[in-house]
Amino acid sequence: MEKIVLRKEILGRIDEIKGADIIVGIPSYNNARTIGHVVKAVQAGLAKYFPDRKSVLVNSDGGSTDGTMDVFHQANVEDFQSILLHHRVGSFFKIATPYYGIPGKGSAFRTIFELSDALDVKACAVVDSDLRSITPEWIELLIKPIIEGGFDYVAPLYHRHKYDGTITNSIIYPLTRALYGKCVRQPIGGDFGFSGRIAKFYLTKDVWETDVARYGIDIWMTTTAIVNKFSVCQSFLGAKIHDTKDPGADLSAMLYQVVGATFDLMEEYSDVWKGVRKTEPVPVYGFQYTVGLEPVSVNIDRMIDKFRLGVRELGEIWKEFLSKEIVDFLYTAERLPKDEFTFPDEMWTEIIYSFAITSHKKVISREHLLKSLTPLYIGRTASFVKETRDSDAIEVEGKIERLCGVFEERKTFLIKKWNNERG
Amino acid sequence: MNIFQRIIIEPFERFFERVLQFLPNFITALLIFIVGIVFGIILKGLFLKFFNAVSLDKFSERSGMIELMRKGGIRDSLSVLLSRIIEWITIVVFAVISLKALEVSTVERIFERILLYLPNVFIASLLLLFGYLLGNFLGRAALIASVNAGIKVSGLIGRFVKFAIFIFAGTMALEQLGIGRETVVIAFTIIFGGIVLALSIAFGLGGKEIARTYLEKKFLKEEEKDDIKHI
Repeated sequence: MEKIVLRKEILGRIDEIKGADIIVGIPSYNNARTIGHVVKAVQAGLAKYFPDRKSVLVNSDGGSTDGTMDVFHQANVEDFQSILLHHRVGSFFKIATPYYGIPGKGSAFRTIFELSDALDVKACAVVDSDLRSITPEWIELLIKPIIEGGFDYVAPLYHRHKYDGTITNSIIYPLTRALYGKCVRQPIGGDFGFSGRIAKFYLTKDVWETDVARYGIDIWMTTTAIVNKFSVCQSFLGAKIHDTKDPGADLSAMLYQVVGATFDLMEEYSDVWKGVRKTEPVPVYGFQYTVGLEPVSVNIDRMIDKFRLGVRELGEIWKEFLSKEIVDFLYTAERLPKDEFTFPDEMWTEIIYSFAITSHKKVISREHLLKSLTPLYIGRTASFVKETRDSDAIEVEGKIERLCGVFEERKTFLIKKWNNERG
Repeated sequence: MNIFQRIIIEPFERFFERVLQFLPNFITALLIFIVGIVFGIILKGLFLKFFNAVSLDKFSERSGMIELMRKGGIRDSLSVLLSRIIEWITIVVFAVISLKALEVSTVERIFERILLYLPNVFIASLLLLFGYLLGNFLGRAALIASVNAGIKVSGLIGRFVKFAIFIFAGTMALEQLGIGRETVVIAFTIIFGGIVLALSIAFGLGGKEIARTYLEKKFLKEEEKDDIKHI
């Protein structure tokens, strides 16, 4: 695997630092408003929980024009006494560098992996630069299981609003869990801890020109860790509150990248997931508590309208690869009055599996296939919002568990169709 | 005896002489034709390897070409199809050369004209094929993008993109074949310009309320947005 060439001054900085124990990476793109808080929280976390470790804080930036890198350099915890009882004694360094490659989070992570490899670190963590709810404890929870628990990969576990992370809840979590048999609740959470060993392993993979370089990086890291038998755990981080992720990003592009990366992984690891028959829990670190979350406003009518438009215009395309039963259901749902609109788990599961099979068999253009999923996803989300309008967090979690159960039950359908002759 | 010689032997000798004169040309033509077949098969193999090396089939899968080919009843992959076309073009070219080697003036003239016209037919066929594939592909892409953007007339947009490309490819193909060169270009310009003008007038008259509402929403009041964070 070809390495990226780090800038001359960064190479000089690596020579100066020589080696480190911990690296914390913050990928960014125009996050001047929020990155200062993230830097301070990380710095306080390192000082409080790892005072005797040599730590490096890295900002891997995608060419921000709002002075994100300047804010990163300037942000510092001025008075540790007000936060901590003791001053940190270990050494702490900062590196800010623009990343190379396809613009996206994956390319930013690649630079962080390269730096952790060059500094031969024991543990790494990556946190989003738009986080508003990060606390110093996040660093302890993401790093400690690696350094003291012997784990290689720490996935986050958050309390999120019931309508937050809908791609995770309706597609990625149930699908990943059914496929690989590990209950990693937030496989695309965005904030992870991992060992230096696994960072080196990630660098050996030739994926940096694919959707992994964009939004696909999170699911790729989690799946690669599970499938390659690295020890995985989860850490409870509390609430996840962040700015809207890339407000300009359109939903279908996001869905295309995340679901596309998941389907690519299904292709690569088909021999692994076909043999997985049961799911098992993943150890959880951290004290779990309930948190207050910001309200989320949703326009269900507009979502159902988008679903209806999709069925009317894209129905003919879906007929090429969805079963008659599903197509009939979609046309029926399209005619239902809005207050009776529903999208059952069984139908949704079969739709996702059918899209995966179609992508595998290359029946239609992959981009068209994945982008045509958007109206169905919106319809499913509208139904979920309707059903859980009066539900509390526990009830919503129960509904997601039920959906996971359906994904697991129907896995035989997926395997059978996947194994059928192409065409 | 003389009569017999004049009626039977002499014409037979003349025919035999002509056959002897024609035979080397015939054998040359036959050899050229056989060489053409062998050369065609070799070229097919070489191009197949080349297309596999540049991952042409992966491109055809990603671009949706393979899907359209299957719809059209073609079961082969794009690399196999193109290699076969190259093989047959080679064989046809060698067949024409071999016929020329026969040195029959009428056949020679006809095939010379065919040979000169053949590249035009080939290019026109390619233009039509790619126009068809591209029209379907971009038409569908436009349809899906419009649906995802929530545009109510998505179907119309998809069909417009598809048929605009079909018409454009057809015009180019006819121009390549030299059929009514100026007429086709003028007709295309009139039709295309007419469609754009018709759409502008239709939007201006029929859609002025929609346009006003849209502009008001855009500039006077922010459209109500969902707070859902999908990832």
